[in-house]
Amino acid sequence: MAVESAPLLRLDGVDLGHGRQIVLANLTLDLHAGERVALLGQSGAGKSTLLAALRRRLAGDVAWCPQSHGLVPQLAVYHNIYMGRLERHSALANLWNLIRPERRAWAEIAALCEELGLDGLLRRPVAQLSGGQRQRVAIARALYQQRRLFLGDEPVASVDPHQALRLLALIDERHATSVVALHQRELALSHFDRVWGLRNGRLELDAPTRELDLADLDRLYPAADAPHPTTDVQRRAEAGDA
Amino acid sequence: MRERVPGALRGDSPGLSLARRSLMLVALCLLALPFADLAIIAHDPWAELARMAGGLAWPSWSALVSPLHAIALTVGVALWGTALGVLLGFPLALIFARSRLVRAGCAFVRAIHELFWALLFLQVFGFSAVTALAALAVPYAGIFAKVYAEILEQTPGTAAASLPPGVDRLSRFIYTELPLVWSRLTAYTRYRFECSLRASVLLGFVGLPTLGFHLESAFREGRYHEAGALLWLFYLLIGSIGLWSHRRLVPWLLLASLFVLGPWPQVDGGLLWRFVSQDLWPAPLREGDWSGLIAWFTEIPDLLPAIANTLLLGLMGTVGALLVALLVWPLASRHFGNRPSRFAGKAVLVGLRSTPELMLAFIFLLLLGPSMLPAWLALALHNGALLAFLAARHADNLQPGMPGLTASGRYAYELLPRLYPGLLALLFYRAEVIIRETALLGMLGVATLGFHIDSSFEYLMFDQAFFLLLVTAMINIAVDALARRYRPRDVVMDDPCSR
Repeated sequence: MAVESAPLLRLDGVDLGHGRQIVLANLTLDLHAGERVALLGQSGAGKSTLLAALRRRLAGDVAWCPQSHGLVPQLAVYHNIYMGRLERHSALANLWNLIRPERRAWAEIAALCEELGLDGLLRRPVAQLSGGQRQRVAIARALYQQRRLFLGDEPVASVDPHQALRLLALIDERHATSVVALHQRELALSHFDRVWGLRNGRLELDAPTRELDLADLDRLYPAADAPHPTTDVQRRAEAGDA
Repeated sequence: MRERVPGALRGDSPGLSLARRSLMLVALCLLALPFADLAIIAHDPWAELARMAGGLAWPSWSALVSPLHAIALTVGVALWGTALGVLLGFPLALIFARSRLVRAGCAFVRAIHELFWALLFLQVFGFSAVTALAALAVPYAGIFAKVYAEILEQTPGTAAASLPPGVDRLSRFIYTELPLVWSRLTAYTRYRFECSLRASVLLGFVGLPTLGFHLESAFREGRYHEAGALLWLFYLLIGSIGLWSHRRLVPWLLLASLFVLGPWPQVDGGLLWRFVSQDLWPAPLREGDWSGLIAWFTEIPDLLPAIANTLLLGLMGTVGALLVALLVWPLASRHFGNRPSRFAGKAVLVGLRSTPELMLAFIFLLLLGPSMLPAWLALALHNGALLAFLAARHADNLQPGMPGLTASGRYAYELLPRLYPGLLALLFYRAEVIIRETALLGMLGVATLGFHIDSSFEYLMFDQAFFLLLVTAMINIAVDALARRYRPRDVVMDDPCSR
């Protein structure tokens, strides 16, 4: 493992947020090349904020798979995946590709789709796919970007556990480093090198997975140990509002 | 302790504030009503109405001279007018938010009705297709620019945000923005085409040989059976749009209609330049003679009464449309009546909505004689039906929370409170259209600005006509700004197809 090498990215006492509102205060962490990081925390804890910050700082190296998928429902699966490399072609080539698919891209995307169990769906508009299929299209698009680093915001949230494992394996196969927001705690322990745990706007947990067990992770979710469930509900409602 | 019952309309719920706002509008209209000329001058309107109804019931198809050519020309003008409007308007929509100049220019060309543009272009291009196309394309470019810009502004940003960095603007637009709003853009274009079909018919009223030309002469000369046949043709044309304006067919229709639109006029460049640089401007202004300019101003007949009449008719039309819409929307809604009643209700609403208000006003004018009444009725009925139709469509998507209420209970407690903010917002959008049409109705003799514009053109006083057009546009823009200010905010029922 390459944990001892110089970090790919270092945050040192940074405040992260949207505009003036600070979501994560005084954040300090290192991301090392070759490390697979699971990002945990209840919804509204700031996972997406952290991922957005990582994405901004590592811009050109990142394959990005957003939580909302960011797919265009009216376009075919092929075009949605093609978008992963939109910046590598001229505008004219991109325009023509909408009318007539480029042969090389088509072959490459067809192969990718086969690995993700999307074979035969290349021409189908994303609007007609199931939730799980859309999720896989979003992952396919991130894989198609061919970067060193994978950033995913709950990329395996709406697929079954078996498939989640397969998708994570595919992601690992093609990216040396990854940061993936998750809500499956078991998966975080079994499949990642390190866990970042967010709670109450702070990085509560930053440890290698071999030193952690499920109980450690449960502590990130206040519902498990909250003394005052009502304040917890309120806090969650506020987080939802923000 | 007994709670005191609050007075009528007291309270600060959004519904009550809207109710107060609407009642203010109605009260304002009632106060202004005594100043309006609402006399019925015709001696026997009922006999005339019976003859018209007879004409509609027994249309005389054999009396039509060349209906196919008229229809083809009407469709051709509408198609090309819309297409050119899109071609001009779409690029403008892309810079609409950034350029104040573009916004102002679009507001100006929008503010003048198609028919006035036709009167203006008529002086240069004569009774030719160029006049007709320019008359539609110029204002539509402004409308498309504004509405397209509004639609594009509402594009969800998630797809664009997920792109890798470094994607060029055009690729981002065609992959992550255009597909997301495409259906809304085409829906609006389709609606605008329907409007242009009506406008194309109306161009007949200034002498271009579309359907309206034959309609007007048949009505004016009392040939009601022929007029009935033409009116049926018109409804058939509007009603069958869905059948013949298929996406695949449109390019072929565009090509084919090119042959109907000719012959193209010879445009004399020198004459055109003289018209634009001299004829449109008052002579004293061109010569820098300021006292002469003041004299020129005083020679304009009845400017202030004309402005007052325009505003008055606009207010009356708006309030009338609101009342009509409130009364008739249940006719077409699934929450009321039975299948036959709904079918009839929808037919009446679509009929009123499809008939151009100028034509409605023209018919009422023949019935009731020249006063403001026919114009008011026409504005209220046409726009009221349009709003009612949209309201009914919106109501059909609502699910009443309490089953088994009586019809009046459903209307007043379940549906109207949910519909009303949207309905009022649509009405305020529509105020701009109504005031534009108000000026137009002057062409039928109501003493609004349009009347004086029409007669100025008739007497070849182009400088005066152009000045009055500018005044009309200013009033329009002012009314639009006012309506925008008092429009209810944050409403669910915002349909671009009402503008």
